[in-house]
Amino acid sequence: MLGVVFLAVITSLTFAVGNFLAVKRKESGLPIMNEIAAAIEEGADAFIRHEYSVIFKIAIIIAVILGILVSWYTGVAFLIGAIMSSSAGWIGMRIAVIANVRVSNTARTTKSLGDTLKVAFQGGSVMGLSVGGFALLGLGLVYLIFGKILGQLEEINLTIITNWIGINFIPFTMSVSGYALGCSIIAMFDRVGGGIYTKAADMGADLVGKTEAHIPEDDPRNPATIADNVGDNVGDVAGLGADLLESYVGAIISSIVLASYIFYTSKSLENAITYNLTKKLLEYPILFSAIGILSCVIGIASLLIRKKIKNPHKALNFSTWVSEGCTIFFTLIFTIFYFKNENFGLLGFRMGFISPWVSSVIGILAGIIIGILAEYYTSYDYNPTKNISSSSNEGASLTITSGLALGMKSTILPVIVLGFSIILADFVGGLYGVAMAAIGMLSAVSATVSVDTYGPIADNAGGISEMSKLEPEVREITDHLDSVGNTTAAIGKGFAIGSAALAALSLFASYLYTQAGPGHTTGYSLIINLMDTFSLAGAIIGAALPYLFSGILIEAVAKAAKQMVQEVRRQFKENPKILSGEAKPDYKRCIKISSAGAINQMKIPAFISVLTPLVTGFIFGAKFVGGLLIGTTLSSIMLAIFTANSGGAWDNAKKYIEQGRFGGKGSLAHSAAVIGDTVGDPLKDTVGPSLDILIKIMAVISLIMVNIFGKYNLVGLLGK
Amino acid sequence: MSIYYYLTIFPIESLIASMLEPSSFGSYLATGSKKGSYENNIFIEIEPECSEDFDWQYAKEKCKIKSNNEPKHSVYLSIYRTLEKVPINSMKSIFLTTKDGRTLELKKQDINKNNFNKKFYIYQELCPTRPLITTILNPIDYIKIMTDYNSKTFLPKIAFADIKTLNFHSEDTGSVGPLYDTNIEHLHNCINEVLFNKDKKFKIVERSNVDKFSYQIIEDGIYIGDNENIIFYKMPSKEDLRRNHYDWGRSAQIF
Repeated sequence: MLGVVFLAVITSLTFAVGNFLAVKRKESGLPIMNEIAAAIEEGADAFIRHEYSVIFKIAIIIAVILGILVSWYTGVAFLIGAIMSSSAGWIGMRIAVIANVRVSNTARTTKSLGDTLKVAFQGGSVMGLSVGGFALLGLGLVYLIFGKILGQLEEINLTIITNWIGINFIPFTMSVSGYALGCSIIAMFDRVGGGIYTKAADMGADLVGKTEAHIPEDDPRNPATIADNVGDNVGDVAGLGADLLESYVGAIISSIVLASYIFYTSKSLENAITYNLTKKLLEYPILFSAIGILSCVIGIASLLIRKKIKNPHKALNFSTWVSEGCTIFFTLIFTIFYFKNENFGLLGFRMGFISPWVSSVIGILAGIIIGILAEYYTSYDYNPTKNISSSSNEGASLTITSGLALGMKSTILPVIVLGFSIILADFVGGLYGVAMAAIGMLSAVSATVSVDTYGPIADNAGGISEMSKLEPEVREITDHLDSVGNTTAAIGKGFAIGSAALAALSLFASYLYTQAGPGHTTGYSLIINLMDTFSLAGAIIGAALPYLFSGILIEAVAKAAKQMVQEVRRQFKENPKILSGEAKPDYKRCIKISSAGAINQMKIPAFISVLTPLVTGFIFGAKFVGGLLIGTTLSSIMLAIFTANSGGAWDNAKKYIEQGRFGGKGSLAHSAAVIGDTVGDPLKDTVGPSLDILIKIMAVISLIMVNIFGKYNLVGLLGK
Repeated sequence: MSIYYYLTIFPIESLIASMLEPSSFGSYLATGSKKGSYENNIFIEIEPECSEDFDWQYAKEKCKIKSNNEPKHSVYLSIYRTLEKVPINSMKSIFLTTKDGRTLELKKQDINKNNFNKKFYIYQELCPTRPLITTILNPIDYIKIMTDYNSKTFLPKIAFADIKTLNFHSEDTGSVGPLYDTNIEHLHNCINEVLFNKDKKFKIVERSNVDKFSYQIIEDGIYIGDNENIIFYKMPSKEDLRRNHYDWGRSAQIF
C-alpha cells in the first residue's frame, strides 16, 4: 500500500515543484511591478512567519499535553500534522506571491486571456498539489512509523488498551486522530488569522479609500491597498489551503478510526469482521485518496496542456470534471480488484464489494450538486443574486435584508442533498459508507484547491496591474480572471462544508464507539438520547456555540478594520500629497495593523474550539459532549452555508451593478450594494470557512479525550 | 513659475489664480490641502487679463513661491457672477476633475448639428445656476433662449452639459451614477410636459442637482455660451477614454 501512497505523493509534489519552477522562471515584468510585488511578498512573508511562530509555540504545548495525557505517539503525530498543514500553507503563500506578478506580466506581454489563465492556474496548482501531497505524505508517515514500524496495525494491537491514567483507546486511532488534530489546529489559526487579516485590510481599504475618498479599487494612493493584497495571500491562499487539507485529512481519518472500532467492537459477534478485511478497510480510504491525487494530476495537466482557452470558467470546470471523472473510473477498477471475494456480512454493505465505491461516488455527486447550488445562489447569472442587486435600488436596508433572506433560504437545498447522501451512503455502505462519501466529496481536493487558489492569485495580479498602471487591456484580462475566481471560491466552500458535515458524522460515530473499554466488544457502549437532560442541554449549548464563535470572529474583524479605517484617514489627513500622487502612503503601517489585529484576535476563537469540549466534558461528562457535538455540527452547517452564500451573493450583486445595471457605479444601488458586500466580507471569508474547522476540531478533541472526561467528570464525581 | 488663471464653474463659480498646472490644480481643488473635501470640480483655463473686471495685479503679487518652497495654490480673484464677466473667446481648455482628484482635459471643438435630432433633451446646468432641465430645444436654441435679454429667466452666460437619456424600463442602464435613482416619475412627467405642451419649451426637474451630477451621465459634452458666442467641449467616447484616459475613466466610475 505504501508504494501507491508514496507514488501519489512523489508524483503530486514533483508536479508541484515543476509548476513552481515553471512559474518562477517566467519574466516578472517592469521594475514598478516588481517593486509592488516585493512589498506584497514582504508583508505576506512577515505575517506568516509571525503567525507560525505564535502557532508553533501553542502547537508544542498541545503536543506535550497530548503526549502526557494520551500517548507519546499522539503528540508526535499531532506535530507531523501541524508540520504538514503549515508546510502546505507556507508553500501556497510562497507560490502566490511569486505567481501574482508573473500573471500580471503574462497579461501584459501576451494580451491573451488563455495564457494568463494558465500561469495563474499553474501557480494555484502548486497549492492544490501541495495540499493533496502533504496530506497524504503525513498520513503515509503516520501509517509507516506507527502502523508498520511500531506495529499498531498488527491484529494484536488493533485492540483497546488502557494508558497510565486509565484512558482506553485503540493505539492507531490515536495516532491518526493526533495527526488530524495537528492539521486542524494549524488550519484554525491560519483560517482565523488569515481571515481577520484579509478582511480588516479589505474593509479598511474599501471604507475609506473607496467610499470616503472615492479612490478606485487597488489604487496605489490607498494606504491599505498593499495590506489588502497581502491579505489575499495569507487568508485566501494559505488559510484556504490549510483549511482544505484539514478537511481532507479529517475525512480520511474518520473512516480509519471508524473501521478500527467496528473491527474491535465486533470481535465477539458471530460474524465478526476478519483482520484482513479490517486492514483493507483501513487502507482503502488512503489508497482511494492516493488515486484521487493521481487523477488530479491528470485533471490539472489537462488544463495546462490546452493550446487555446476562450472561456476561463469552462476551462477550470473542465479540469475539475476530468479529475473527478478519472477518480471515479480508476477507483472503480481498483475497488473491484481490491475488495473482490471479501465477505462484508456484518458491515451492511448492501451492494457487496462495490459498496464503498458507490458511497464515495454518492459523496462526489453530492459535492457537485452542493457546488452547483452554491453557484446558483451566489452567481449573478441567476435570479437570487440579481434580486439582491434589484433590491439595492431601494437602499442598503433592503440589500441587507434580501441578502440575509437568500442566505437563510439557501441552506435548505444543500442540507437536503447532504441528508439524502448520508441516508444513501449509509444504506449502501453503512457508517463506513458515510465516511467514504466524505472522502469522495474531497477526492479531487488538489484540483479544487488549484482552482480556488487561482482566484486570489488573479486578484493580486489585478492589483499589481492596477498599481503599475498597465494598459487597460491588461487590467481587463486580470479583472476578468478575478471575477471568475469569485464564483469558483463559492463552489469550493460548498465542498468544504459538505465534507465537514459527513466527516463529522463518522467522527461522531467513532466518538460513540470509543466509549468501549477493554473486552467490550459488542458495539456502542454510549447511546446519545436527546431525552437525556445532559445530552439535550449539550445539544442546545452546542447549537449556540457557532454563533458565539462567529460573533467573536466578526468582532475581531471589525476591531482590526476600525483601526485600519482610522489609520487610512489619518494618512490622508496628515499628508494630502498622498491623494495628489506626489507622496507615497505608508503601506507598512497598514500591514502592521492588519498583522497585529490578526495575531492578537486569532487565539480566542481557536481556544474556544479546543477548550469547549474539554471543559464541558470534565464538568458534565460524555453524554453532554455528545449532545454538544450534535448541536455544534448542526448549527455550524447551517451557519456556514448561510454565511458563505449570503456573503458570496452580496459580493456578486455588487459586481452585477458595477457591470452597468441599476445605474452602475456611483448610483444609489451601487452604494447600497457596497455596504452589503462589506457586511458579507467577514461572513463569507472569515466566519463560514472557520466553522467547518470548528466542527472537526471539536469532534477530534472529543474523540481523543472522551475516555478521560468519560471517567473523570464533576457530575460523575458528585453523583458518586 | 507661471501663473494660471482658472474659472471654476462647478460646484462653485469663481476665478482663481494659481501656480499649479491644471492637473495639480484639479487635484488640489478636489481633495483640498487638509480638509479632504472629495468633490467633482469643473474649471476652465482662461487667458490672463482678458477682462477689466478682475484685479490681475493682485494675483501677480500674491502668486509667489511659499517659504517651504511650495507654489501658491490659489488666490481668489472673484467668487460671484464670475462666468458672465469672462469673455467666451478667452476660454481655453475645460478640465473635469473627479472626487479623488484625477483631471481630464477637454479641448474646444466644433458643434456637430447633425446630432441635434432628439425629441427631447435633458440638460444639467453647471453655471451660474445648477438645475436639471428637460427641454425640446437643442443646445444652441437653448442657449439662445436662456441668454435672451427679453426673457424672464435671462442669464448673461450659461454653461451646461447634455445628459444621457435612458430606457427607464430596463435594468441595463450602463454606469450612469445617481442621477436617475429617485423621482423617476417626476422626470417622466417633466419630459411629457415639454413633449406634449406646445407652450412649454423647457421644464425644471430639480432646482439644484449638484450632488447627483456625475461625469458618467454626460452625453455629447459641455456647452458654454452667451447671446453671441457658443463653445463646445466634446466628451471623449468610452473607447477613447479606455485607450487614452483609463485612470480618469476608472476614477469617474465609467469603468
